[in-house]
Amino acid sequence: MNQKSQSFIQEMFNEFYRQEYTPKALSTIEKREFGFISPEGFMIRHKSFKNVDELKSYLENLTPTDAYYSCAYYENPEAEMDKKGWIGADLIFDVDADHIPTNCDKVHDEWKCGNCGFSGKGVTPEKCPICNGEKFSATSWPCEACLESAKVETIKLLDMLMNDFGFSDKEIHTFFSGHRGYHVQIERENVRTLDAVARKEIVDYVTCLGLEILSNSYKNKKIGTRVYRNLKLDDFGWNRRIKEGTIKFILESNEEELTKINLKKNVAKEIIQNKETVIKNLKIGTLRSVRGVGVETWRKLMEHVAIMQSAKIDTVVTTDIHRLIRMPETLHGKTGFRKVEFPPSKIDSFDPFKEAISFKRKTATVFVSSAPRFRLDEEVFGPYKNQRVTLPAAAAILLICKGKAEVAE
Amino acid sequence: MQKSTLKFTKNDLAKYPFLKEAAEYVKSLDLKVEDLTSTDYARILERAEERIEEAILYTIVSRKLQNEEIEILSFPTAIMIAAATKNAFIKRRYALAEAKQTYNDLKLEPKEKILAITQNFQWNIAPNIGESEAAYEFKLHFTDYLKNTANLREKKWKLVNRLMTNGNVYLTRNETARLLSEEVKRHIEKRLDIKELPRLPEKIMEKAEKLNGLTLEKIGKAEIEGIPKTIIKEAFPPCIKALYDSAASGRHLSHIGRFTLTSFLVNIGMPTENIIEQFKGFSDFNERLTRYQVEHIAGERGSRTRYKPPNCQTLKTHGVCISQNDLCKTIRHPLEHYRKSIRR
Ligand SMILES: [Zn+2]
Ligand SMILES: [Zn+2]
Repeated sequence: MNQKSQSFIQEMFNEFYRQEYTPKALSTIEKREFGFISPEGFMIRHKSFKNVDELKSYLENLTPTDAYYSCAYYENPEAEMDKKGWIGADLIFDVDADHIPTNCDKVHDEWKCGNCGFSGKGVTPEKCPICNGEKFSATSWPCEACLESAKVETIKLLDMLMNDFGFSDKEIHTFFSGHRGYHVQIERENVRTLDAVARKEIVDYVTCLGLEILSNSYKNKKIGTRVYRNLKLDDFGWNRRIKEGTIKFILESNEEELTKINLKKNVAKEIIQNKETVIKNLKIGTLRSVRGVGVETWRKLMEHVAIMQSAKIDTVVTTDIHRLIRMPETLHGKTGFRKVEFPPSKIDSFDPFKEAISFKRKTATVFVSSAPRFRLDEEVFGPYKNQRVTLPAAAAILLICKGKAEVAE
Repeated sequence: MQKSTLKFTKNDLAKYPFLKEAAEYVKSLDLKVEDLTSTDYARILERAEERIEEAILYTIVSRKLQNEEIEILSFPTAIMIAAATKNAFIKRRYALAEAKQTYNDLKLEPKEKILAITQNFQWNIAPNIGESEAAYEFKLHFTDYLKNTANLREKKWKLVNRLMTNGNVYLTRNETARLLSEEVKRHIEKRLDIKELPRLPEKIMEKAEKLNGLTLEKIGKAEIEGIPKTIIKEAFPPCIKALYDSAASGRHLSHIGRFTLTSFLVNIGMPTENIIEQFKGFSDFNERLTRYQVEHIAGERGSRTRYKPPNCQTLKTHGVCISQNDLCKTIRHPLEHYRKSIRR
């Protein structure tokens, strides 16, 4: 980003904090730590504010590129880390497209070798094909397909938080992160004091890590007339997910798809040929249905289903009880989008490329080096290649922040 | 949470002397510390000492319910003596031993009594009335569940392997008793964690000294001292220090190097989480795999044996031993280096 673009961004961000920004009431604001990235790129930490007005005027004065606050509550939020006096922390989840396999293969992502400068598109390689270097700089893109896959994971997470963990619609705060994912935050009193170990158990639950599919007592035993106990149990939690998931998976699969998850060809054939019996039996909780289909087959099938049903979250965010997270309603420095909240029940229809857009009244002329096709609200832009275009300010800011354009001379 | 109307009997208080109601009963007698040393109360003091003795020797505290009064009063007295030993091993062991006996008793109690005891710890628990299969007698809120399973390593305790709905985890009576005994253990540990001890009568201090002596005699020194929970990097031998620094700066480690470092850290008591943290700097870091390997070495998985790091000879053969300090010349195993140099 050149000097001119930088001052343009700063000017626009400043205008936003003065005119558009309406701070949401933050619960227990005086006990939280705040952190900012200054326009010059410095991290400022250990700040605290008594109320949102104080916070707002700070944002107006500093115009940070990014603003964060702690999920944790402290006795002394401004003290050094080990003297802060941890009281508790919200339970948070981060779903980011970077952690999810997507259909777009991340073709919009670009990487550049930090050693020799060689660059390419797609997922960053482990080693540079030219010099074997391992350090890269990478830029990603808030692509619709990526955000859609993040949404799918978030929906699975919300289902667990509501049905299994029993949080109500009102207790769960869902946000678009302003870039490539979603945040979920729970402030309920009784989760605040959970330590990192307890939070790791919650992480393992939603990612199905350590899930015992069929207990070991089944190992090397013929199923015979035995009944898979968990399946017979109530349709709750992971039991429900595995049971319903397996039924759905078998119903929608053909032989080829079953062999893809490493089932033997003849086994896959047996299952597909006897689909109806298998499913009927699964529904009443019996695994005995087809000759030659044993415990190991069921285990493979159900493990596959469990992973499909699990929510792919960024696990370290949840276990970090001191984590700083982006503040709601502030701008994301990589996009100029706002982090916005929406009710969990509205997630299906939530459109990040509409709800998170600011700077609606202005336009700007930029020189775009290269940009994929993208949409903001109802309008579609690009693709662009080495051209001068006049765009709505939000589109111009996105391209500049992503390093794909500069303010035109 | 359901409010129970059950009243504890004196027999209950003798069995579960950690209950608030037991403390209230003791308070109502208006005793002073000094009274304990009078001849009238000699039996209480004796029983208190015996409780701790049983803990040290058998890791379980019997119940002597013929004399409820003594049983109730000897518990807070035992707490006082255990605290007076200022011996972390005795305190831990005593809490564990009382909790074990509690578990055995709780298993046999009717539902109502278990519920009444959970109220002492503000558990969010309710009986399971036909929502789930009958073997599950209780449903406990997952926050209380997680707080009391942190030390339980069996796979069946992992939250992901539990039946949970609407925030509640279903439990059998036995499982509930197990979790409640964990709560009791933590409760007693907390009571024993007294920073400033008040001045105690000579007789109590004598008992404390005696128990310290017994511990030294009956329990191996290494087990008592354990290896301190805080990791002392200065006590690492040169080979481990080099591996540790490499890991911290994200440099590549050989397979044996990684194994040596992990097993070393496991054996000096670094928690699995922290060890995994050490490997985060690697470009090939894969949390799930690393966790698996670390837990495997720690014996939390698979064979359930905790691996020891290779000895100095093997480390030399594989080029892990990079230099020797004075202490190295006197030892044959990297863990020996650590133990010896922290004792200096
Ligand atoms: Zn290169
Ligand atoms: Zn994409």
